[in-house]
Amino acid sequence: MKTKIKEIMNTKLETISPDATVYDAIERLIDKRIRSLIVLPKDEKDVYGVITVRDVVFKVIVKNLDPHKIKVEEIASKPVISIDKETELEHLVKLMEKFNIARVFVHEGKEITGVVSLLDVMSASLIERARRS
Amino acid sequence: MFNKIISGGKLEKKVIENIKNHIKILCSAAECLKTAIESENLESTYCVEEFERDADSIRREIVSTIHEGAFLPFIRPNICRFIEMIDESIDMIEDVAFEFRYLNPEIYKLIAPECIRIAKINLNMCELLFLAFESLIGKDNLKEKNLAIRVYEKQVDDIKFDLIEKLRNNVEIKNFWDGKNVSNFVDYLTKVSDLIEDASDYLYIIEISLR
Repeated sequence: MKTKIKEIMNTKLETISPDATVYDAIERLIDKRIRSLIVLPKDEKDVYGVITVRDVVFKVIVKNLDPHKIKVEEIASKPVISIDKETELEHLVKLMEKFNIARVFVHEGKEITGVVSLLDVMSASLIERARRS
Repeated sequence: MFNKIISGGKLEKKVIENIKNHIKILCSAAECLKTAIESENLESTYCVEEFERDADSIRREIVSTIHEGAFLPFIRPNICRFIEMIDESIDMIEDVAFEFRYLNPEIYKLIAPECIRIAKINLNMCELLFLAFESLIGKDNLKEKNLAIRVYEKQVDDIKFDLIEKLRNNVEIKNFWDGKNVSNFVDYLTKVSDLIEDASDYLYIIEISLR
């Protein structure tokens, strides 16, 4: 697989402030029909985080906690696992397998600029296979 | 697959070669459009019109050869329809190029990254359509190419919705022609992939009908 991440990454990213409530995050996830939100750094020393549907369900809803009272930063995962946009697909797949994750963020310098999901990987490998055969 | 109906005839071989050339012209037109909108060079959009004229002449030649007696009668309408689909795709690329020339540059700046991405995908789809046709002739796996084309089309659809949302939220249209122009441009650019997908599906139907 010689495809590079930049060729398949999705640049449509949704961010949320670490001070926002989990309820705000739920609203955003439902409105935009997405599964994760980038949590912005609190200050210059802080790093990007991520909050996923999985975090919301397992860390808040299942525990019967009030999503209005919990802040995003309390349940967000930090730092996010990210790779350079020039990375090859093969490396990305290894990373996903190693950490058992469905999406990896893409960085350019210190900025998060995209995301690649397992579905993107599947589509890309399918296209590559069709071109090769 | 085609052996059953070709029977090694000269006319059939001529049609197949011309269809390949027709699809190659489609690829060239898609590449020309991609380069033009990438570089924002209006002059370079005129090459699409030249390719469209070439494609028209090849289409006429293919249809004439078919009516001279190439292929068995039951398959002729299917081949003609496939050719028409390729032609419609090239016409649509020509329409995109035309609209691009009159597009308000300020509006285009806002949507350029998405448009360039769609133009690249359109080109990839054209190239895959060529491979799909070769698969049909060479009894290779056409289904895989067809699926890959569908994946690409889905990607264009996703970008299209983002694009429309972006235009609705960020662009204030102050002039009727600016609005009509950008609407047509986005509409035609995203329709190219639909037409190529239809052509690919039709190719698959031809394959099934020959089994």
